[in-house]
Amino acid sequence: MNDIINLQGLTKDFGQKRGIFDVKLQIRQGEVFGLVGINGSGKSTIMRHLMGFLHPDKGRASIAGKDCWKSAAGIKRKVGYIPGEIAFPDVRSGLDFLRLQAEYMGVRSMTYANELIEQLNLDPTAKLKRMSKGMKQKTAIVNAFMCDSDILLLDEPTTGLDPLMQKSFTEIIRQEKKKGKTIFMSSHMFDEMESTCDRVAFLKDGHIVHVVDMKTILGNEQSKEYKIEFNNAEDYRAILARPFDFLRKQDEYNQVVIRVLDTDINKLFGVLSTTDVRFISHKPYTLEACFKEIYSKTETA
Amino acid sequence: MISKTLMKQTIKSNIALWIILTGIQAFMVFGVASAGTNLQQTALAYYNMLPGLISAIYVIITGNKLLAQQVDKGTMAYVLSTPVKRSKVTATQGLFFLGSLLLMFAVAAAAHCIAHYIGSGSITAADIGHVALLNLGLFCLNAAFSGICFLASAVFNLSKYAIAVGGGIVGAQILMSIMGMFGSSFRWMRSFTLVTLFDINSVLANSGDFIWKFIVLAAVGAVCYTIGSVAFAKRDLPL
Repeated sequence: MNDIINLQGLTKDFGQKRGIFDVKLQIRQGEVFGLVGINGSGKSTIMRHLMGFLHPDKGRASIAGKDCWKSAAGIKRKVGYIPGEIAFPDVRSGLDFLRLQAEYMGVRSMTYANELIEQLNLDPTAKLKRMSKGMKQKTAIVNAFMCDSDILLLDEPTTGLDPLMQKSFTEIIRQEKKKGKTIFMSSHMFDEMESTCDRVAFLKDGHIVHVVDMKTILGNEQSKEYKIEFNNAEDYRAILARPFDFLRKQDEYNQVVIRVLDTDINKLFGVLSTTDVRFISHKPYTLEACFKEIYSKTETA
Repeated sequence: MISKTLMKQTIKSNIALWIILTGIQAFMVFGVASAGTNLQQTALAYYNMLPGLISAIYVIITGNKLLAQQVDKGTMAYVLSTPVKRSKVTATQGLFFLGSLLLMFAVAAAAHCIAHYIGSGSITAADIGHVALLNLGLFCLNAAFSGICFLASAVFNLSKYAIAVGGGIVGAQILMSIMGMFGSSFRWMRSFTLVTLFDINSVLANSGDFIWKFIVLAAVGAVCYTIGSVAFAKRDLPL
């Protein structure tokens, strides 16, 4: 029972193929789990089920063994949340808002909140109504993390943040992961997910089409892609005669892209040592590439 | 059963309108009652029309703000992302709604008594009793109206529908009671409005008729609040 977040055949049909369908996911304690998908693919709907805002048509969502609908309030003691749409209550400043939320949560100390505020370079005394989108997002981030909750549900947590702040956010995620927090986040920022997540699920039209283990991509993949260019056409043609897995051939540049298993890499070098190579470069398999490949391939019912 | 934090927050965001409308109402009753006429006449002149309108404004606007507007804007997400149950939210908001109305009419009753005392130089225990009962009746009427608005606020995701339905029903009820006063051809309308159950004549004539009528009003309120709370706890919230 290491699964702290458990989605069992979760289904919510909004009609016209909208909604989520038979979503099955198990997220382990201490794991950072990402959820990607285009707009309207159902990311927020999954989050809303976990928060107990929506009642599933079929299936069940549970956190730490408790049903997300029936025990919605009790679960919140352990959960920090960033909603997909930020709309703050009727209070004056960011600090007033954070104090209000801390009071609801029964948290007295604002020490960690202040650390986060510093880390995100946020001015908490600013009036909520005058805040830019980025500042609101930062306030929401501080709110989610300040209570030191064990589980974090983050619905597109970095929208509106500038690239520098996205780095700070990534830093916070790593920090929390070290503390053993379980993090479930949705996003469309691939690089952010690559640098934080352990696993990433692809969501298409409400269906989970694939779950990638990050260990298998980003240079950790068992078979890697290399781009090789030769100085002359003879060598180029010579390599084409060999039994390699060619992904791309470009005659005009004498250039090939080859996929090689790590175990076969020396065979490749053996061949290359007899040829005149202009350059060789490794093309890491990114989350984005993986996403595009799978997303276009899969048809959903 | 209620959340103190939410109660504080609710009071903060609704107190301004409450103060303004309670002030206007107290000022009006003060003006009417300080003229020095006997209580029967001022009561008939005043309680027949004005206070229903003012408290209706409060009921319609506040009713929407308590639930529907917060769901519509999405701010409810922050309350519900804490260990506060939905049933606690409705209990807190309902208690505030009823409490603020009770206080509103208590202020009006006090203003009425003071004004009467200043205007006619004295006030009898029977007068105080009548004023108290009339304001209790207004409270019961508004308990019913606020219940209708609360119910609408609890079941709709959008402010505009909550106001259209809740405000529409309350507005129509008041309108029918006013129309009913314009001659016999409109008299039938009085049978279709809750306002009729606020029986001023019965109170002033010391007949016991008003008792069951007030109880019916309070019961309508209780039923609406209960259904609203249950519906809010059971439905999907688009937060």
